[in-house]
Amino acid sequence: MNPIESDVDIWDDDITVDPYPTYTALRDLGGVVHLPKNDLYAVTRYDLIRDVLADPASFSSTTLGFNPMVNEALQGTSLASDPPVHTQLRATLSANLTPRALRGLKVTIDEKADKLVAELVATGSFEAIDSLARAFPLDIVADLIGFSGHVKDNMLRWGQAAMQVIGPLNHRTQESFPIAGELYGWCSSVTAEDLAPGSIGRGIFDAEARGDIPQGSAGHIIHQYLGAGVDTTIASIGNIVALFGRHPEQLKLVRENPELVPAAFAEVLRYWTPLHIWGRTAVRDVELGGVTVPAGAQLGILLGAGNRDPRHYDNPDVFDVTRNPVDHLSFGYGPHGCAGQGLARLEGHAIVEALARRVKSLTLGDGYRVPSNITRSFEQLQVLEVEAA
Amino acid sequence: MRIELDRPRCEGHGLCEEAAPALMHLDDDGELVIDSPDVDGEQDIAAAKAAVRVCPVAALKLVAA
Ligand code: HEM
Ligand code: SF4
Repeated sequence: MNPIESDVDIWDDDITVDPYPTYTALRDLGGVVHLPKNDLYAVTRYDLIRDVLADPASFSSTTLGFNPMVNEALQGTSLASDPPVHTQLRATLSANLTPRALRGLKVTIDEKADKLVAELVATGSFEAIDSLARAFPLDIVADLIGFSGHVKDNMLRWGQAAMQVIGPLNHRTQESFPIAGELYGWCSSVTAEDLAPGSIGRGIFDAEARGDIPQGSAGHIIHQYLGAGVDTTIASIGNIVALFGRHPEQLKLVRENPELVPAAFAEVLRYWTPLHIWGRTAVRDVELGGVTVPAGAQLGILLGAGNRDPRHYDNPDVFDVTRNPVDHLSFGYGPHGCAGQGLARLEGHAIVEALARRVKSLTLGDGYRVPSNITRSFEQLQVLEVEAA
Repeated sequence: MRIELDRPRCEGHGLCEEAAPALMHLDDDGELVIDSPDVDGEQDIAAAKAAVRVCPVAALKLVAA
């Protein structure tokens, strides 16, 4: 059977800013919905999304971006490869990112989060995106990779552009390509000496010099840490502040039950998914949820639609820090499941914990999102008043 | 039923331990140890299934013994 069609344009400005009503409509239409305007097969339901992500033999990552230029640029990365090549690339990539490798970082990350939140709380009111959601992950990733100076100043633009260009060839992608190019350029020319001794970035170059990883792979690995790990984490931290501001009773629950910190971060990720669409390509005609996805079809995996699927989560549109949705889809799933999730959790938990410790309540002012191809995040979010704990 | 671990794929995220603490744990080096690979009884099988389900990189499988 052919999938049902919808004339939705999934990259319409208004939909990228607030996709949830569209997700509900598409999910109700079918688990797989053909979107001719985008030349895509949208995957909308939780179980089907897990099935697709678990099956790289049927759904390839080699053309996961939504335009040919980005797919070309991503060749050789773990993100855009399939097993068996992926298995090896992933092993080198994740070696420095596993919870055991990161164990030593926890104390530093917790301290930095607490200091930053304490300073902001002391000011009484602040703009949460620049001063917290962006400042914190940029600081952590700069330390991790071991760069500073002009690179650090550029990293926000570079990280945003690296995600934006994964979209279709619309004006957002076109405007972002030159900026993403600066990131590709830096990653292919950076040398061990550019990175601080003792940093993970420096360690990756040392591994390359020792022959532990293939020649030329160090730059790719660093590219992926930056491309995948900056914009996403920024989105999730902005969302923490916004959701605690809008749901004071949920902040109160975490304050009273600090053991809820991991569950609260998982719920933030489920409720507002940082990456709203992600790609795969069907390598042959594949049956998916009772319909046929033709060979060569590009899939648009709607992670946020799966995260609100009532077939999987009760009352999915309710933000509930006691839910503990450990199986949410925001990090993907399976062989490509986010390699940086250990680090993302360290950062997210540190911020949730610091806010719960230091803030009694937040009064939010204006906040807005701007249309974006892949990442959904706040561009600005004013905290008008903080009541310190 | 038997719990099988794809050791190279396991990255030590530890979510499985939270789902099935009686069956597996991360040791002091952060390596996953399956304490009871062979599971029977409704409760253990349910816990093993939950562990398989939450592993974010699909490193665990539950197979017929
Ligand atoms: C809240 C923050 C984050 C979110 C929501 C997120 C989301 C994701 C998703 C959905 C994927 C799956 C891609 C696919 O299936 O093709 C992924 C992969 C990946 N992520 Fe993350 N990520 C986050 C943070 C990070 C961080 C901090 C890093 C590194 C420093 C990172 C590095 C990676 C890498 C390298 C991959 C590719 C893995 C592979 O292809 O095997 N991510 N991420
Ligand atoms: S959840 Fe998966 S990756 Fe994490 S420790 Fe368990 S088996 Fe390993």
